[in-house]
Amino acid sequence: MTSDSNGTPLVEMRDMNVSFGGVHAVENVSIDLRPGEVLGLVGGNGAGKSTLIKTLSGAQHPDSGAILVNGEPVTITNPRDAKAYGIETIYQTLALAENIDAPGNMFLGRELTTSLGNLDDSAMEDATRRIMARLNPKFENFKTPVASLSGGQRQSVAIARAVHFNARILIMDEPTAALGPAETEQVRQLIRQLKREDIGIILISHDIHDVFDLADRISVMLTGRLVGTVNKDDVTIDEVLGMIIIGKLPGELTTSELADLHG
Amino acid sequence: MSVTEAPITDQEQVPDLPVGGAFKSLVRLTEIDTRMLGMFGLLLVIWVGFHFLSGGTFLTPRNMWNLTVQTSVVAIMATGMVLVIVSRNIDLSVGSMLGFVGMFVALLQAEWLPQLVGFDQWYTWIIALAAGLLLGALLGLLQGTVVAFLAVPSFIVTLGGLLVWRGLAWLLASGRTVAPMDRTFQLLGGGARGTVGGTISWVIAAVACVAIVILLASRRRTRLKFGFRARPLWADVALAAAGCGVVLFAVWFLNRNYMPEGLAMAHAEANGLEWPPEGLNIPFGVANPVLIAIGTAILMTFITTRRRFGRYVFGIGGNPEAAALAGIKTKRTIVMTFMLMGTLVGLAASVQVARLNSATSGLGTLQELYTIAAAVIGGTSLAGGVGSIFGAVLGALVMQSLQSGMVFVGIQTALQDVVIGAVLVLAVAADVLYRRRQAT
Amino acid sequence: MKKRNYLIALIAILALVVAACGGDGEGSDTTDGATDTTTAPDTTEGATDTTEAMTSTTGGDDELIVGVSWNNYNEERWALWDEPAIVAALDEAGATYINSDAGSSAEQQLTDVENLIAQGADALIILAQDGTAILPAVQSALGQGIPVIAYDRLIEDPGALYITFDNVGVGALQAEVIYDLVPEGNYVIIKGNAADANADFLRAGYEQVIGAAVTAGDITVVFEEYTDNWDPALAQTNMEQALTQANNDVQAVLSENDGMAGGVVAALAQQGLDGQVPVSGQDGDQAALNRVALGSQSVSVWKDARELGAAAGTAAVALAQGTALGDVEGVVQFDSPGGNSMTSILLTPIAITQDNLDVVVDAGWIDVGTLCQGVEAGSVAVCE
Repeated sequence: MTSDSNGTPLVEMRDMNVSFGGVHAVENVSIDLRPGEVLGLVGGNGAGKSTLIKTLSGAQHPDSGAILVNGEPVTITNPRDAKAYGIETIYQTLALAENIDAPGNMFLGRELTTSLGNLDDSAMEDATRRIMARLNPKFENFKTPVASLSGGQRQSVAIARAVHFNARILIMDEPTAALGPAETEQVRQLIRQLKREDIGIILISHDIHDVFDLADRISVMLTGRLVGTVNKDDVTIDEVLGMIIIGKLPGELTTSELADLHG
Repeated sequence: MSVTEAPITDQEQVPDLPVGGAFKSLVRLTEIDTRMLGMFGLLLVIWVGFHFLSGGTFLTPRNMWNLTVQTSVVAIMATGMVLVIVSRNIDLSVGSMLGFVGMFVALLQAEWLPQLVGFDQWYTWIIALAAGLLLGALLGLLQGTVVAFLAVPSFIVTLGGLLVWRGLAWLLASGRTVAPMDRTFQLLGGGARGTVGGTISWVIAAVACVAIVILLASRRRTRLKFGFRARPLWADVALAAAGCGVVLFAVWFLNRNYMPEGLAMAHAEANGLEWPPEGLNIPFGVANPVLIAIGTAILMTFITTRRRFGRYVFGIGGNPEAAALAGIKTKRTIVMTFMLMGTLVGLAASVQVARLNSATSGLGTLQELYTIAAAVIGGTSLAGGVGSIFGAVLGALVMQSLQSGMVFVGIQTALQDVVIGAVLVLAVAADVLYRRRQAT
Repeated sequence: MKKRNYLIALIAILALVVAACGGDGEGSDTTDGATDTTTAPDTTEGATDTTEAMTSTTGGDDELIVGVSWNNYNEERWALWDEPAIVAALDEAGATYINSDAGSSAEQQLTDVENLIAQGADALIILAQDGTAILPAVQSALGQGIPVIAYDRLIEDPGALYITFDNVGVGALQAEVIYDLVPEGNYVIIKGNAADANADFLRAGYEQVIGAAVTAGDITVVFEEYTDNWDPALAQTNMEQALTQANNDVQAVLSENDGMAGGVVAALAQQGLDGQVPVSGQDGDQAALNRVALGSQSVSVWKDARELGAAAGTAAVALAQGTALGDVEGVVQFDSPGGNSMTSILLTPIAITQDNLDVVVDAGWIDVGTLCQGVEAGSVAVCE
């Protein structure tokens, strides 16, 4: 599941539409993601970013639109389908079961079983230890419920879960929102490493500096619509802010509007 | 085991108990669940207390033997209730369901089948038991479907069930008492003939002991194979010895419940044993309902800890959205928990009707409360996500010990209710405090 | 807060219903306190009580309505025997039958009685869940000139007609049969629900028979306990405790009813003592009569509930037609435990033992097949 050399995007979402009882949460949005690229998906509250990526991760049914993985149209009706296509998601809430330990959460829904069909807890613990050794070597609590872990440790479990299953497309929804500086740096390192492995990442973040640090391209949404997609190198932070708040592309912003952004 | 208890391997997880360091290290190294220890402690306190209050009749083989039988029905149902509560639901209808299914099973073998094929056929009990399990499963399926697919809160659905099944129980037989049961069916409930005898009890104890050793050994081997930290060898040996010891002691103790002379003589005659002048002490052995309850508990523990279904139930209880996002079929799982509960109610109803050798339309009244209490005392949290099958069985034992003990001591029924209610609240309060301390 | 809204909505609905029901009769007085139970029954002119409004919408004005408030259908006899007998008696007199079931709740029964009155009952037959808790409803009914019959269970109000089988007599009959078999030894007494006056009546009956022997030391009561809800399963557990405590040294068991006797016999059977220890019961349950035939129960005091129902139905009609309490056929005065002199009809129960099983068969109460299920050939005459 790598891209071929002529540049087919890893994921393409075309004209996605999602409505909730008359409210257009996502309206005709098209984005694409290339291998080894980080696409920053930004926008204010209610812009529709979470809803959009939920259609990709299988947690939301779109009303219309097409999703293509490696150029092939796919149908994603539930989280299992998404995972089958190599799409893994790290949710803002982490989606961990607090009462289950790290290995249990890692393999939740796709447990390793023995030949008799029983849970193979030892194999799962072993796999988890290996993964965590790569990602977070200081992690030790493999047998206690996740509830007793710190925010950063939980984050690493969520990331490990997303990364372990040969994901080619990773969706990260506010990965550093609840983390301290040291842990945030760890996540940044991880993202850079994943890029090197040709994994495509859709990064949702409200921290514009983080986005600018990590993203290659930035897609901006406002009230359900796509304002535009720009290359990070071609724009300034202020121009992106202008897209987020006012909804105008960089070329269209007047100097006074730009100045207002800092008012 | 990783979800029902929290074995303590890491420093920071040793519970904050007001005891010395040596005890804490012992607990940490053996990975014993201190909550279970606390339950055992409570049970011992109750037993010893009643023993003294009753002038030495409580801790006798006969009374303890009776106690195990009296606990069976609620214990069977409590194992199913754990999963229902863990998945953030509740089943208030189990008592009424027991009455309805019990009446059905009784009518089947006392009236309907006999009209077709006569009494005491060799297959009557099989059909009756199977029908009971099936009916229970169907009722559970119905309730579970309404809860999971129609999204009606389980409290309401099973409250409705509590009324509906009770009404149906009455309608089935116009309020009559139905009796007697098929002779073989009666064995399910214990009684004089419904025990396995001393020898087989010992065999069962030996098998259990061997199983405990094998279990501990294989778990140790797996841990070491993967390079994980295992318990120190002495801890494993000590646990195996303790487990074996408890099982063997229990069987030895219960085997000292001997048949009264009349039954013993009949037994000796039937088995070609000579009757010496001073008489023979023939043990009853473990009663069938107790074996059924234990077997049920083992099966349920297996399902909960070693099957994906059990893991999914706990996942749903811990975080329903996470479970759904992980691809777990949450609705189907919920329906299964109710179906399982219903099946267990069918089993419990059969045992109860066999034990009483009759079915009344009021059978099972209030048993849902005792079942829930047993599960909760045993560590199942009503908030969901946390529970223990073994704890629920202990909880049932605690409740029955209280009830039977108070009868011994001659405490009047109204006061008994007060005591049981108070103990329930105190036990759960203690549990809540304990968990809060653990979390900080 | 939601609970309050619920309550308000409920009250609003109730108010609408009451308003709809009331108000179409002519000149209905709202008070009738001064008149006694002998007031003339409803006529189209000059209604004398508040039920007039409802009766004109339900039946003909000449037709009497008798309301029966059941406490719970749980025991097998009520719907099987008592109710049909009452209904038959009412049918014969041309009266209408209305009823309610309180589902074992004393509070519910208060509401039920009010509802029956509101539906136009001219007389009430009340099988009390709790004889003391029901008093306000009874007093209210009597105050409105509606006669009340306390059916089978005592209600301590001298204005009510108490129709019952002499429950003390039932207890005495049970004890007589057992005492005859076991004049000396250890007795276990399994009583019914603590809140049920009948449980104490039966115990008083036992006392009449064995009291002297207990004082003299010939009989020792080794275990005596009430049983919540007359629950057979609970009786079984309690009996197991009793046997354990006494180390099986029990010679007789007085069980106040048949349901619990079933539990007692099961407990005895576990120790191989069934058939060796006499057990009593009452109600004439089919399962119990079968046990009497088999020999594991010694006596079931049979109260032909049909007799009770017929007597109550007939008396209800008489009272509704204006007969004075003391003039009803067959009444005697009975001194209640509460110190009231109750006008009562006391029917005579029959003790059914293995010797007179033909009585229940001939009366059509039970068929031979059910009675004799499992009985060894040649052991019981009526089973041949």
